[in-house]
Amino acid sequence: MKTLKIYYRLQKIKQTIYLLICLLLISGCEDFLEIDEPFGQVPHQEVYEDEATATAAVTTMYAKLRDEVLVTGTSFGMGALMGLYTDELEFYGNPWDPSLTFYYHQIVASDVGVESIWGKSYNLVYMSNAVLEGLESSPNLSVSVKNQLRGESLFIRSLAHFYLINLFGEIPYITTTDFEMNKEVLRMPKETIYENILLDLTEAKTLLGDTYISEERIRANKWAVSALLARVYLYMERWEEAEMESSLLMDNTLLFNLETDINNEFLKESTSAILQLKSKNTGANSQEGTTFIFVTAPPPFVALTNTLVAAMEGNDLRKTHWIGEVTDGNGTWYFPYKYKQYSNTGNSMEYSIVFRLAEQYLIRAEARARQHNISGAQDDLNRIRQRAGLANTTATDTESLLEAILNERRFELFTEHGHRWFDIRRFGVADEVLTPIKPGWSPTNVLLPIPEADLLTNPNLAPQNSGY
Amino acid sequence: MKILFRQCLRGSIYLLLSSFALPIHAQVSVSGLITDSSNMPIPGVNILLKNTTTGTTTNFEGRFKLEASPSDTLVVSYIGFKTQELAVREQVFFTINLTPEANTLAAVLINAGYYTVKDKERTGSISRITAKEIENQPVNNPLEAMQGRMAGVEVVQNSGVPGGGFEVKIRGQNSIMAGNEPLYIIDGVPYDSRTLGSGNSSGAIIPGGNISPLNAINPGIIESIEVLKDADATAIYGSRGANGVVLITTRKGKEGKTKFTINSSTGIASITRKMDLMNTEQYLEMRREAFANDGITEYPANAYDVNGTWDEDRYTDWQEALVGETANTSKLQASVSGGSKSTQFLISGMYQNETTVYPEDFNYDRITINSNIRHTSSSDRFQVTLNTGYTLEDNFLPGTDLSFSAIRLAPNAPELYDDEGALNWENSTWTNPLAQLEGKYRNKTKSLFSSAVISYKLMDNLELKVNSGYGYTNLQDNITSPHTVYDPAFGLDSENSTVILNGADKDYWIVEPQLHWNRTLSNGVFNILVGSTFQKQNQEKQTLAGLGFPSDRLIYNLSAATTLLVLNEDIIQYNSQSFFTRLNYAYKNKLFVNLTGRRDGSSRFSSGNKYGNFGAVGAAWLFSEDINLSWLSFGKLRGSYGVTGNDQIGDYQYLQTYTINDNFYDGNIGLNPARLNNPNFKWEKNKKMEIALELRFLNQRMAFSTAYYKNRSSNQLINYALPGTTGFTSIQANLDALVENSGWEIELNGAIIQNESFDWKASFNLSLPKNELLRFPGLENSTYTNRFVIGEPLSIAKLYNLKGVNPETGLFEFEDYNNDGTITAAEDRQYIADLTPKFFGGFSNSLSYKNWAMDVFFQFVKKDGYNQYRTSEPPGTMTNQPVSVLGRWQKPGDQAEMQRFTTGANSEAFLAHSQFSQSNAAISDASFIRLKSLALSYTLPLNKSNNTSCRISVQGQNLLTFTRFKGGDPEQMNGFLPPLRRITFGVQLHL
Repeated sequence: MKTLKIYYRLQKIKQTIYLLICLLLISGCEDFLEIDEPFGQVPHQEVYEDEATATAAVTTMYAKLRDEVLVTGTSFGMGALMGLYTDELEFYGNPWDPSLTFYYHQIVASDVGVESIWGKSYNLVYMSNAVLEGLESSPNLSVSVKNQLRGESLFIRSLAHFYLINLFGEIPYITTTDFEMNKEVLRMPKETIYENILLDLTEAKTLLGDTYISEERIRANKWAVSALLARVYLYMERWEEAEMESSLLMDNTLLFNLETDINNEFLKESTSAILQLKSKNTGANSQEGTTFIFVTAPPPFVALTNTLVAAMEGNDLRKTHWIGEVTDGNGTWYFPYKYKQYSNTGNSMEYSIVFRLAEQYLIRAEARARQHNISGAQDDLNRIRQRAGLANTTATDTESLLEAILNERRFELFTEHGHRWFDIRRFGVADEVLTPIKPGWSPTNVLLPIPEADLLTNPNLAPQNSGY
Repeated sequence: MKILFRQCLRGSIYLLLSSFALPIHAQVSVSGLITDSSNMPIPGVNILLKNTTTGTTTNFEGRFKLEASPSDTLVVSYIGFKTQELAVREQVFFTINLTPEANTLAAVLINAGYYTVKDKERTGSISRITAKEIENQPVNNPLEAMQGRMAGVEVVQNSGVPGGGFEVKIRGQNSIMAGNEPLYIIDGVPYDSRTLGSGNSSGAIIPGGNISPLNAINPGIIESIEVLKDADATAIYGSRGANGVVLITTRKGKEGKTKFTINSSTGIASITRKMDLMNTEQYLEMRREAFANDGITEYPANAYDVNGTWDEDRYTDWQEALVGETANTSKLQASVSGGSKSTQFLISGMYQNETTVYPEDFNYDRITINSNIRHTSSSDRFQVTLNTGYTLEDNFLPGTDLSFSAIRLAPNAPELYDDEGALNWENSTWTNPLAQLEGKYRNKTKSLFSSAVISYKLMDNLELKVNSGYGYTNLQDNITSPHTVYDPAFGLDSENSTVILNGADKDYWIVEPQLHWNRTLSNGVFNILVGSTFQKQNQEKQTLAGLGFPSDRLIYNLSAATTLLVLNEDIIQYNSQSFFTRLNYAYKNKLFVNLTGRRDGSSRFSSGNKYGNFGAVGAAWLFSEDINLSWLSFGKLRGSYGVTGNDQIGDYQYLQTYTINDNFYDGNIGLNPARLNNPNFKWEKNKKMEIALELRFLNQRMAFSTAYYKNRSSNQLINYALPGTTGFTSIQANLDALVENSGWEIELNGAIIQNESFDWKASFNLSLPKNELLRFPGLENSTYTNRFVIGEPLSIAKLYNLKGVNPETGLFEFEDYNNDGTITAAEDRQYIADLTPKFFGGFSNSLSYKNWAMDVFFQFVKKDGYNQYRTSEPPGTMTNQPVSVLGRWQKPGDQAEMQRFTTGANSEAFLAHSQFSQSNAAISDASFIRLKSLALSYTLPLNKSNNTSCRISVQGQNLLTFTRFKGGDPEQMNGFLPPLRRITFGVQLHL
């Protein structure tokens, strides 16, 4: 009997011990569910704890601009798409190429090309907002790094919205990554959008330095911001400020000088360049070169319109140096030859240029003409004409000067990021220019449609732009 | 019919500590062990002293102890077994072997995962197959053995090549976008059934690169497979129980004489059916008519088949030539098992080799080694069980499945080999299909499984148990594409050769401490289980490509490659931590209530959402105990309701991260925001309800059961469409969509004839599933609008509706739903075809006469499926066609089934055919009845006294298929090699 009792008591003690072990195991801890970061991914917060990764989050946006969106030199950049949309380019590509609808003005609200411009632009905006928010809460980046990255992100955010407003009209200006807010946004009046752009650019200008952060002109500094500001003021028709901003660049002769030899204009060492997009790999050159240059006829994708080539004066150096041609038994085709390299070279020779000094001369010429400063406008215009080997302008009054400037912009800036399209819109001559040559043209085509998918998922974006 | 491991065991006398026996009225402590005919202990057996109310029941290990006097008689009874009476006299230990009653249907112990339950007292819905059904089928993968045998379990084999995958759905598709795979548990250890394969390396030979990890389980080592279906059975698996649970239990060693079993088999395998394709005469007639229809009088230079380049009298049955070989299979399995009362063991090894139906030598080799040891301490309180398994697989296959070429090649296409035995390219007029075999696929997989269960009885009714396991799988595969797969006329050299290598490994461990407690009250028994789970899994995967080699001989040497690409790199961790419990109350052996619950924590969710609670209530009433009906020997009504979850939603999805990519800029890497961050996403919820009736008649010889279930899955994880202004087009979020699976399941079992020499058992199961999308907010504006319709099943196809062939134009015409005069995809694909099976099931018969035994099993499925037109080219182009296209339109006024032949030059006809292939005409009845398995065996009794025997058997799989389906094998229609017909001859020796 006694042994039995002892036995059971021992059992009880053992039992308690085991129960304790069990309870310990059962109580567990949250830590057990912690796992390492996923491979190949960096948590959002960690990106902004380190200068190198924070910088990469910003430079990736330049890579996107270079390879995917808006100012990209690829076939879905503004240069090609809006070139086809106006009187710059003829289409020779595959019938299923999404640019075809741009060329024929057959765009409908569900157009994949339009959806891609819209989606990729707002993705870029998202990236810039993610950087701005990440920097905000970053504990250990130096002030100078934070200022540089914040300035660049504001610059890119406003650049994207600047293109969006000029393509789609009234659009939402997005300043957060919060999708709950962004999925219900409303379209904003033009003035509000431009106010936001100016706000961003003004701040960027105070944050960014005088010099380029790296050895080449491949990341935005104060001067790049000025270049965009000058263009924004011009589009806003605030002539005085446009003149002032462009003058800042022209006065900085230490950094910027119009290349005297137009063959050097698009080289990566070009002193005309205000902002370039560095090529992806060593030896790679601009996307534009690959997209536009062709060596056999018929052209694989696009060619310059004969009207553009014919409109240029015979001795225009830009005609002889910036336009290439291919002839076969059936005819002659012309291609933009500003960038001369279409494949890799030992060292990269050309970078795609986003802002260059020549545009600033033309901005100031126009701003001055609009303010009836005839001689000032003539001076600026003649600088561009002289470099192209042409005689001084014969225009002597505001109206003829403006016409001359529009023409000069056509010859100087062709196939660069859709300048021609935005110019004929600005000048209000889109109907006049395109009606004779585009059977599909309708006056409502001055705006692209808001993508159908967006209208369906966010009814606040209604109404659709007229004509779609 | 005697099967494996069945022999008589002489029980050894065992004395417990008699010091505990208290001498009251000369009573002694009597104890014993009660086992069934295969020496498995039976818990819950009633032992009563005759003509008294004193009694007890056996414990988990089948042991009992009670006080009795030498004059008493023990009455040992258990449902389904013959009652035995034994006089106590001087005996203090009894080894009692219960023999089954006329039929053993009720006596089965069911594995419910964390606990076992008597079939009789079961409150949940659990289907089961045992070694008996599995060993009669010559299959490689245990999932194949389940096909048609369990109600509610739909198993489809994706490919007939060894190593291929299966699609398993238990009670239908619950999730719109997340995984629908059940949870697999092998000897208590969860086994991740997600493939380690990569579509990059194996996608052209194994559909989707979905190499089933369950190939590592040798079906011959399986004792039983239980499938848990309802809430009562699955809720204890919480967030992983929504799609059902498959429990695989391996064989264990048994007390007794050391036994040797050797099982050797050899056999053949080939495709089940061929598609009925045109012969050369019909084909050339079609081609010429097509050219005439298109107004082409001069055959173009590349129309080699009709312009005289190729021999117009040649005929090759390409199905025969490319997938018509007979594969050889051979298998050798040996095991030794036995043990004492305290320690039992089993060691088993298997080697298998199988060739393929393709020309040239390809083969699949598999070696598996399994062992099991169990030790029980002399005090009977401590027990340890260890299972280990190791599998090596070496799969060598063509890089590309030739099934696609086999049905497309022109029947008069050239010879495969030229006179010198080299590949014939016929002056570059065709792509020799055998050139694809120059590209080889090789897969080597090593899998280790181990599990240990340690238990200690703290008190007679309280047991501490720790279940633990560790596993490791390593998969290395590669596919080569040497330049010789291309026509030599292209002048390519080894600089154009490529190789893709995929290397993946996965390791996982689990520890589950548990407490089991039971208490007998005056009116019933309480069983309580509490436990917790700690599980970690780590998976790494890397896919590399090498392009360009100095020589094809160096193609496996990545260091020799001109270009090396990293196609994919992945490291995935998954941790989970859970607590579970079960409370079971059995009232007077007739009313059972079962409460189960689990609190699950998973690393797949963000910090606020890591934990979720799941639970169920189940109950059963043995009404035959209360209502006495003479014709009814057993009657049970049971039901359950509960909530389970589905966590197959991918890893890391809740994190806000940047993806490292190649958007290089100025020396910086690319960092892209990976996705919109939705930290709030959670498990999908699955509410299950079931009600079932189980009846047995004729002294338990016949059993009938039927169940109705209704499962609703909500909180569906969806790629939710967003406006582009958010920066993305969609976000993964839980949407308030609702999917319902409901249905009836019927099972019938019976011992039709049972006497000394002749035995005939039959069983039948039928499932009538129904799947319906009940709710999907915003479906019209989502990307799913063309895939789903509210009120319809998830597996529908939206198609054009074929109106017929216009007798004037000879073109197919379709219903113009929106009457806009044109047929467009978005508006006019409004015909809804339901591809969910209407019903499916199986019918099995086991007959034995003296030493002969025969098992016949039929599987049947009633469903619609894509037919031969789904992926076809327009009849008249340079591809062979099913003979059914011959009923075509030829001249105005013809009423025809098929439209005019075209070479493709008639763009209207071309377009009409492309719409035809996406119309309801590309769907037909794909129902079938299949003689799934047939096994005939004869047992030679070598020496009856020591149970030595030899069994000779012939087994067949997929022997006959009855179907009206014209597009080849009706089981799967993905264009890959269908399941094979197998016939094997085997000898089994028991020593």
